[in-house]
Amino acid sequence: MNAPFSSYLQSIAPCMKQVISLLGASFDYVSILSTDSVGWRIAIGQRSKAVTNSTMTTERGCVIRVCRDGLYGEYAFNHFDPEHPEQIAQDAMAAFRAQRELLSLTGTRPYATPALPDEPCDLFTEFPVQELPETTDQEALIERFSRLSDLAMEKGEHLIECQVTAQSTHISKMFLSAHRDLRQSYVYSEGSIVPIAFHEGKNVYTHVSVAGREGPEIFAALEGKLDESLEIIHDLLRAERIVPGEYDVITSPEVTGLIAHEAFGHGVEMDMFVKHRALGSSYIGKRVGSDLVTMHEGAKCAVNVTSYAFDDEGTLAGDVTEIDHGILRTGICDALSALRLGTQPTGNGKRQNFEHKVYTRMTNTLFDSGTSSLEEMIRSVSHGYLLRGMQSGMEDPKHWGIQCIVERGYEIVDGRLTGRVVSPLIMTGYVPDLLGSVSMLSSDREVFGSGGCGKGYKEWVKVADGGPCLKTRARLG
Amino acid sequence: MTPYLLSLLRTSGADAWELTETRTEGWEFYFIRHALDQHRVRNVTHTSVRVYKKSEDGAFLGSASSEIHESATEEETRELLSRLLFQASLVRNPVYTLNEPRPVEPLQLDLPDISSMARDFMEAMQQIPETAGESINSYEIFVHLRTRHFMNSNGIDLTETSPDSMIEVVVNARAEEHEIELYRAYTSGTCSKDDLIRDLTDTLRFGRDRLHTVPTPPLSTAPVILSTSAAVDVYRYFAERMGAAMKYRRLSDWEIGQKVCDANLTLEAVRTLPNSSGNHAFDPEGAPVRDLLLIENGTARAFWGSEQYAGYLGLKDAFIAENFRVSGGTQDADALRTGNYLEVVEFSDFQVNSMTGDIAGEIRLGYWHEGDRTTIVSGGSVSGNMRETPLSFSKETRQYDTCLIPSVTRLETMHITGIDPA
Repeated sequence: MNAPFSSYLQSIAPCMKQVISLLGASFDYVSILSTDSVGWRIAIGQRSKAVTNSTMTTERGCVIRVCRDGLYGEYAFNHFDPEHPEQIAQDAMAAFRAQRELLSLTGTRPYATPALPDEPCDLFTEFPVQELPETTDQEALIERFSRLSDLAMEKGEHLIECQVTAQSTHISKMFLSAHRDLRQSYVYSEGSIVPIAFHEGKNVYTHVSVAGREGPEIFAALEGKLDESLEIIHDLLRAERIVPGEYDVITSPEVTGLIAHEAFGHGVEMDMFVKHRALGSSYIGKRVGSDLVTMHEGAKCAVNVTSYAFDDEGTLAGDVTEIDHGILRTGICDALSALRLGTQPTGNGKRQNFEHKVYTRMTNTLFDSGTSSLEEMIRSVSHGYLLRGMQSGMEDPKHWGIQCIVERGYEIVDGRLTGRVVSPLIMTGYVPDLLGSVSMLSSDREVFGSGGCGKGYKEWVKVADGGPCLKTRARLG
Repeated sequence: MTPYLLSLLRTSGADAWELTETRTEGWEFYFIRHALDQHRVRNVTHTSVRVYKKSEDGAFLGSASSEIHESATEEETRELLSRLLFQASLVRNPVYTLNEPRPVEPLQLDLPDISSMARDFMEAMQQIPETAGESINSYEIFVHLRTRHFMNSNGIDLTETSPDSMIEVVVNARAEEHEIELYRAYTSGTCSKDDLIRDLTDTLRFGRDRLHTVPTPPLSTAPVILSTSAAVDVYRYFAERMGAAMKYRRLSDWEIGQKVCDANLTLEAVRTLPNSSGNHAFDPEGAPVRDLLLIENGTARAFWGSEQYAGYLGLKDAFIAENFRVSGGTQDADALRTGNYLEVVEFSDFQVNSMTGDIAGEIRLGYWHEGDRTTIVSGGSVSGNMRETPLSFSKETRQYDTCLIPSVTRLETMHITGIDPA
């Protein structure tokens, strides 16, 4: 079946079209994004359990975007009577007027930008899904997660807790302007097992997950992840501290994904080009990685948690080749930044929710695969580490520094895993050095969609990233 | 919506319920250099409910929560409450009780209008002493007035309006072709104009220094000094481990009366701090917020937390704390800056994991003090663990929004991953 588009959004569409028409008399550009996304989150542990009907992306509200005399403004609201579009238009006008008074008082000048083009487009997309979050048998899920948590406690070493978490969200979004009418709905879900152990005064935990543009049926795969999570706990309990230094490393696909995301994903978000905050703007057409490195970004280049049909500015989804055999080709761009840079938007204008501003944001960020096997890659290392498990990362588009907190490293000596584990690891380096030293890529590829991404320290959105195993050289501490 | 929703809740069959309605008036301004990228208004109301259901034998209490949208019809609301009750019946947590009405002394907040709040930030940003070499790249101003109305089935009915703000600032420094940036994000109640100008002036100086860094040398281990907002994470480690949720879930093994810090650290949850965005008369569950001593001279004295976890630990008059004050430093800041040490003033993302104690951060700007010589460094990382590194801190204090902490913090044995020039 298909994920049905929100009947609520259908019901308010005539009102919103009327608001656009009313405001159109006063502004050079008017559009409205309306959202109605429902979902739930279940968290089952030994010591506490919780159910909520809120997830990172559940919301219902509208945001009006206008442009007049080169200045853009937005009005986000969720309390209105759809029988009275004129009242909505009046409220928005009053709000803009009040802000423009302050701008006049402070002598603020606009970053003058032309009105966005409003090319005609109609789209109605309901992506297929097996099961909807609205009709899930939550009682059965809670029982299953309880059994999984109990089983972990029976089998695990020194476990004090095992939390099983699942969330599923049915997204519906409607973008309207004078000439565009875009409507989409899809379901994405993510689940995780988080066992926590305590031994000899030390706490360790890990996080194994499943995620995808799928319904709650995806959670059946969690059972198969339990043993993996307990093996990781076993490794973390016996892990040592690494001797800081520069090493040959092989990154597992989720660490590869973290590198893709932090190293070049953020670095080519082109709203940063407008502000001259990204070194990437001066490297277009230049070498930034070894010949083996090819990287894609776009809602269409994989099917995962953020694979939509159009973005929050009404731009259709894309698939951009950012790095082609080591050469930086282009970045990703929201519509307003594209207008300012004289380029085309790529379908990467995203909001945390209807209350938040649009920024250029990632969707699926992936390294292409190579031709090696993991075994061949391990055999090629004289002293280094196989890096598994990502915890967090931080971008640095201006200087191309990279920080990745990696969960664990498995020592490799003379082409063999020694069985020694180190944890935690902070991987740092200069991005072109890191990508320039990529010497092998595995022939497989995985995509990971659990968790979120901030811009700086705010504006959280869903993203997915991944790639193959990758051999490079990095600084570990 | 509230009266109508209340009547539905009271007849829903819930054993207990909580209702929070939050109205937000928000103004936002986004600047590129000092030109306005765009301006935004938020005019939103969010209503959330949590319903509780006891198991038939009375041994368990479950809850489920949801937002009830302003646009929801009566039929939708009834269906949602019915679903919440069913969901709550599936959740089997040990029984605890919701907060009872207690006297709440309102905060004497001087509430400005939202335009004045925004204007203060805009005018402050015009007063930053920029030069040809150091300047503001971009900034984003967020000001909010929030009115929070909390009610529960035990009769609590409280309303409070409070301001909160945030400004994110990116600073550039340049010399010839070389340009660097530094990032700052400040949260507060309203605009702390003088503090903002002073801190951004310091940031411009850091920017100048960052133009002239050399790679951090491989130091193996060295004392690390923190004198910026990164140090807040060091003290949040103690605050979070004194949280009832971490204690009940066995993620914190600290006990009352146990020495949890070798240093003379005293940590308090406090009701108010000057212009903190966390100043509230009552917490999100309707409990009065008060001052509470959590750690005294390094010894655990009290846990803090929500009604659920506080109930499980048998805590009286518990609340969810937002403001924290750290004291107990015995040395002047200058006395901590002795011997060889690395003072890091800019990390890419400094982290202290409250569960494991792991410390990690990539160095974006640091000062390596070796004898009489100071080298400005960047690159590499700092790592360690709170359980292993001795901690000392200054008598002088500095406030970062919801946390008043020592102005200088010294972590004695940190691992420094530097960059070997070879």
